[in-house]
Amino acid sequence: MPTSLLVISRQAPWSGPSAREALDIVLAGGAFDLPIGLLFLDDGVFQLAAKQDARALQQKDLSANLQALPMFGVDDLFVCADSAAERGLDPTGLALEEARVLSAEEITALIDRYDQVITL
Amino acid sequence: MAAVSLIESTMKFAIALFSAAHAPSSRRALLFARAALAGGHEIVRLFFYQDGVYNASGSVVTPQDEEDLPRQWRSFITEHRLDGVVCIAAALRRGVLNAEEAARYQREAVAVDAPWELSGLGQLHDAVQDADRLICFGGA
Amino acid sequence: MSTLHVLSHSPFGDDRLNSCLRLIGANDALLLTGDAVYALQPGTAPFNALNARAPRLFVLTEDAQARALDIPGTAKGIDYPAFVELSLHYDKVNSWL
Repeated sequence: MPTSLLVISRQAPWSGPSAREALDIVLAGGAFDLPIGLLFLDDGVFQLAAKQDARALQQKDLSANLQALPMFGVDDLFVCADSAAERGLDPTGLALEEARVLSAEEITALIDRYDQVITL
Repeated sequence: MAAVSLIESTMKFAIALFSAAHAPSSRRALLFARAALAGGHEIVRLFFYQDGVYNASGSVVTPQDEEDLPRQWRSFITEHRLDGVVCIAAALRRGVLNAEEAARYQREAVAVDAPWELSGLGQLHDAVQDADRLICFGGA
Repeated sequence: MSTLHVLSHSPFGDDRLNSCLRLIGANDALLLTGDAVYALQPGTAPFNALNARAPRLFVLTEDAQARALDIPGTAKGIDYPAFVELSLHYDKVNSWL
């Protein structure tokens, strides 16, 4: 049985390369057919805010990469309900429809289900 | 307070470092790695990602009154014949190039050579699959 | 399953400690390293949050010692060999980078 890996992405989309580099780990894992999950936590939920315009900052728009996740075989996508609520984001209006919205207790259980974890 | 039981069998570690050489977490990563080997365990790979790539840079000049982490990592990897992999995408973005990449992108500075190896994130995933534990160091 | 959560950022002006305490499970433990040991500063909001949640608590001794912070009786100071053992005692290590 392959080792499963949960990547927890905590940074806002343009706070440096962190959001992209977290996504790159996930996409690489998907490309190798490994069991990978991705959780958006804390400022990471801002990566899923609707109607963002990366071009205004001459930054890369990550939403295409995010939408590509299921195509790379990464279907285990999660969002922290509390993080979204604290940041004034409606969890039902996020840019990644496939992402399941989880409570704190559910996230504790989620982390338990994976063999290893990277939080960046 | 949990009792810490003694693990007697050899366990395999994948150690990933995300912070630059001057970050305290980089020193902690090296001390952890040394303790893992001293404890009779195996390190399947050291993977350097994000700012961790700077630990592999031969261009870093550490102030004389500080610990020279790049040199210590190099010695550690060489002495124990470990697999020290630097993520190529992270390295390129940060200007940590080996001779091949410097030639490819026509850059003057060559910052990395053996024992370091530039490779892709597949090597991180490989290490995670092979190891009993993945330990990440970085941030502060 | 059990997780060893590792923090290394100062809890002042940073939300890692609070986020971690919100998610930490009954079988988990928390290891404070680097500036995260400032959470041991008595009479502060992070110290109170730590005591309120009261996870199984470990502290990297060198970091508490450097900062002249006392390790409370409810926590255990560890060195690197013990850190290695802890990482094997728990099923996985979640470093909050």
